[in-house]
Amino acid sequence: MKLLTHEIGSLAKPPWLVKTSAGTPLDASDVEHARAWGEKLGVDGYEELVEMLTRGDAGGNPDKAELGRWASRYALRLLESAGIEVVYDGEQQRTEMYAWAVDHSNGFEPRGTVRSFDNKYYSKSAVTAEPSLRVPYHNDEFAFLQSVANHDLKIPVTGAYTIAVWSYDEHFGPQRGRIGAGHGRSEELAARREFANDLARNVIRPNLESLIELGAKWIQIDEPGASTEADELDIFVESFNESVEGLDCFFSTHLCFSDYDLFFPAIEQMHGCKQFCVGFANYDSRELGTSGADRPGYEVISKFRDLPYEPILGLGVLDIHTDFVESPELVRDRILYATQVFGDPERIHVCPDCGLRTRSWDVAYEKLRNMVEGTKLAEEALSTAGAAR
Amino acid sequence: MQAFAPGIYPRSERLVQATRDLDRARTSQQAVDEQVERDLAELVSVQQQAGLDLLTDGMLRWQDLFRPLLEASEGLETGALTRFLDTNTFYRAPHATTAIPKLDGSLDERHVAPLPGPRLVTLPSPFALSQGTGVPALTIAENVLKPALDGIDADLIVLTEPFFGRTENATTSELEEPLAALAGGPKLALQLTFCDARQPLEQGLGELPVDAIGIDFYGTHLSDVPKGFDKLLLAGVIDARSSTLEDARELASFAERLHNEREVEQVALVPNGDLQFVSERIAREKLLRLGKAKTATVEAAA
Repeated sequence: MKLLTHEIGSLAKPPWLVKTSAGTPLDASDVEHARAWGEKLGVDGYEELVEMLTRGDAGGNPDKAELGRWASRYALRLLESAGIEVVYDGEQQRTEMYAWAVDHSNGFEPRGTVRSFDNKYYSKSAVTAEPSLRVPYHNDEFAFLQSVANHDLKIPVTGAYTIAVWSYDEHFGPQRGRIGAGHGRSEELAARREFANDLARNVIRPNLESLIELGAKWIQIDEPGASTEADELDIFVESFNESVEGLDCFFSTHLCFSDYDLFFPAIEQMHGCKQFCVGFANYDSRELGTSGADRPGYEVISKFRDLPYEPILGLGVLDIHTDFVESPELVRDRILYATQVFGDPERIHVCPDCGLRTRSWDVAYEKLRNMVEGTKLAEEALSTAGAAR
Repeated sequence: MQAFAPGIYPRSERLVQATRDLDRARTSQQAVDEQVERDLAELVSVQQQAGLDLLTDGMLRWQDLFRPLLEASEGLETGALTRFLDTNTFYRAPHATTAIPKLDGSLDERHVAPLPGPRLVTLPSPFALSQGTGVPALTIAENVLKPALDGIDADLIVLTEPFFGRTENATTSELEEPLAALAGGPKLALQLTFCDARQPLEQGLGELPVDAIGIDFYGTHLSDVPKGFDKLLLAGVIDARSSTLEDARELASFAERLHNEREVEQVALVPNGDLQFVSERIAREKLLRLGKAKTATVEAAA
């Protein structure tokens, strides 16, 4: 019995990349970070990076793009070394999942930062004209990763609906005459539908076509904003279908931190989605156990099981909002519960709830290693149970 | 005619950076505190420049609407990270560990800052704070919010209520006792943020035991306000979730319609919810336009 493990998307950026990007001088601890992790992860030629950073420390000017590629190598090795089977680079070369997409598209203007949660903020833009793709914006990154990855790659691409719902609308909807006019919801829905479908057709789909041409086999459409508006789920589904219809690739969708009940029945129409990777651990107990009562965060998974096109479930087993490191046994029990519910372990993949970019590399690494270890424990338990039958 | 801005105000880009640096151990708490003070001074200055009637501290240290109260209470703690309504901002939902949570002490100056003039203070309504905890709103009102109110000197307390207007089958009678339990101190306003208030208004929202009622006029039709509404109406005319800057003349014109068409005598122009859903640069401009609208309305009436 084999259960596939994969990452979701982002990882924290190393301090030497963050500081260089911000134009902040590096200090000895940054260089040591590169040396220590390079050695720990077995990054080929990491000494070259250390030398480059040391020179930069002495007043040089490191090539930022080159440093981004080094960060990609490190992140790849971090995931591969943890034992994750399908990997990417923690989005090291992107600014952020939303900002990267809108910065490489026409029709958007920046509007400053807005709180995501606690002290975490994100840059938010407004759509001010019909959006279009300036240039395929994941090609360089993917081509580079193909040349250095040892494991299979899955490319995260921010989805059309999330870009739409995370943007201010200064173009599609009415801008005046709204005060006291009542909740013109149908007007808002029409505007959002037009916006999301324009993005799907003119920004996302050309990107996907370009990646497939380069050899992409698995593309993950990230839609953390999918359930933002309960009455817009059909727009999310429509824009997903518009993005992938007829393209030859394994497409998955990442959903997180939502009331997942809201997605049903809308996602019954997402026939092009072969896998949903979904965050559950955030809502779950930390106690061991494989009964439904032990696993409150996973109550909704039977609804994914019952989808008519039988997608795989990417089971989020790591809470990415806390430094608490899930034990292998806790991961095992979450998986075993899911396999009981699904009845078919082949429809379960194992992953974190979401990208781990808000955790330090130390914490992320420990969590991921335990996820892999817990997956092995689950595989053993399933094999033992299978042999006993 | 008045104007003011309850709720959480956005942090400046510098404060965002400072708190981010603090989380990554790249700066000190003192450096963050100093930036908070600079942000607060700037916010006060903008409100004074705009001619707002009550000053607010913008809740600059509040990470969400509930956090300082949860941290100051026995029997309440932070729960799962939860989406705030239909925004891309998340909060840690209140979680109760006892049947009767109690505020342990009062909110200090870090969370309710002293201000150089008449001020308003924003707190969650008892209904909002009780959501998902299993604790009745009345218990929350008596044991958490009332002690908090007793420790606050303010000209107006705005109890912000983001959930009630979106809760199916909720009735305004559920709010009556919890709100009554908070009476006896500063004037109270109940503000229903980011929602259509038609149904609560039909149920008698205006009869609740508070001094003022707040309504989002991006969700509520003007005609849903009962004619002759006789409390102070906090009219949510600035859309706190939109980057589009309001036209001060349009705001003033709407204020006139409230008076002429709905016979509302006491109006305060406010945002329809926390301004933290736009950046500080945009929020500042919205405050200035709020002030201009008030001035235009007052001048037109004169």
